[in-house]
Amino acid sequence: MADRVVLAIGTKKGLFVAESNKARKRFTLRGPFGPGIPVYSAHIDARSTPRMYFSSCNPFFGMKVMRSTDLGKSFKETKSAPAFPKEDGRALANIWSIESGSGKKDLWCGVEPASLFRSSDAGDTWDMVSSISNHAHARQWHPGNGGLCMHTILTDGDRVHLGISTGGHYMSEDGGATFQASNKGVGAGFAPDPYPEFGQCVHKMARHDDAPGRIYMQNHGGWADWDGPGGPRPGIGVLRSDDYGRSWRSIAAGLPSDFGFPIVVHPQDPDTVYVMPLAPMTRTCPDEAPAVWRSENGGDSWKRLAKGMPRKASFFTVQRDGMDIDRTKSPALYFGTTTGQLWIGREGGEEWDCLFDSLPPIHCVKVAVV
Amino acid sequence: MPATQEITLFVPGLLRPYCGGRSEIVLTVTDLRDLLAQVEAQHPALYVNLCDETGRVRQHLNLFVNSDNVRDREGLETAVATGDVITILPAVSGG
Repeated sequence: MADRVVLAIGTKKGLFVAESNKARKRFTLRGPFGPGIPVYSAHIDARSTPRMYFSSCNPFFGMKVMRSTDLGKSFKETKSAPAFPKEDGRALANIWSIESGSGKKDLWCGVEPASLFRSSDAGDTWDMVSSISNHAHARQWHPGNGGLCMHTILTDGDRVHLGISTGGHYMSEDGGATFQASNKGVGAGFAPDPYPEFGQCVHKMARHDDAPGRIYMQNHGGWADWDGPGGPRPGIGVLRSDDYGRSWRSIAAGLPSDFGFPIVVHPQDPDTVYVMPLAPMTRTCPDEAPAVWRSENGGDSWKRLAKGMPRKASFFTVQRDGMDIDRTKSPALYFGTTTGQLWIGREGGEEWDCLFDSLPPIHCVKVAVV
Repeated sequence: MPATQEITLFVPGLLRPYCGGRSEIVLTVTDLRDLLAQVEAQHPALYVNLCDETGRVRQHLNLFVNSDNVRDREGLETAVATGDVITILPAVSGG
């Protein structure tokens, strides 16, 4: 019976694991694992025997994938990490996402430069997915400030959705054999054409397992005041699709900013979605006061959730994988900041507490009930 | 045919798990490129820590022949002599 809540917290200095019972009043902390090495992606596969993974992005010795089979008490390096074929000419710069595939040991992995890899043996061996990694568009994608990264992998049977910064949203309906750019309605702010076929700076996408046709996207917003070629692009930062990602529309009205990085869906309600708006210039919370915003109607309206958070002089930045929600009966949200604070929002974000206030800068937060 | 030289490759502690725990590997090589080729063949797990998929030495690693950084000499074409010690060192970093 699942009775533990486990957090994988990827930081600039390694992975920390926090654990609690389902009451989530007190968490114990262990780590860092992969000490001193940045961790940009983590994954907890809670199916059957839980496995935890994280990417250890070693600037000296290259990328490693670390795996735990004891709920994050110890980790071992897998036998290999994703790597481009020698003749490809590209070299792995970072690992941005690890997600489960359909089989118990199947994994997907999104990397920088934007490419996709698959493993069928829990990360010991990897194959590049050529259909997207060598897509006709791939050499035309450009890195954003965070690099040219494939950061989101959503799967639903034979459907695979990918988020690429800056490449846009790509989807497959044949299990990854082929991919098509699917960005109708997804705006770009840094090109004269406000709605290009591809090349958007998607920050994160999310959806509910039981409503795979509804997908939410945090895109690179902050272009409402643009007065150059192509004109202003208000509201392009927070989007929703109701047709499996074929088309998208803005749901940013009511938010203090359409810029942000993470986007998270409630585990029991596909209409409930959370974002953390940031001021586009500073990429910190607007008005010096952090808040998560929640919509309970698919983005038609939004409510500010900040009870327990600082009311002034706070400049949090939360990165694209820095927020998650658990799957308990009364889910709690978690977010980690680049200033090393880990916050919990109990009752779906109604009440906030800082669980740990002096961790290294946090890149990613993943939670599972095991 | 270039002459071969017996050199010693010094492996820093962080990389020893990738070569059976050894701190030194004695190799007979013609130059550094040949050294890396032999490391790839004999110690593939160590090699991927030194070079990326394209075969380039990783950006933040330095190779020294005795006390000389090979970036200041002829790179991977730097000549070696019997008795030389080749040292792998991470670049200076902070933060």
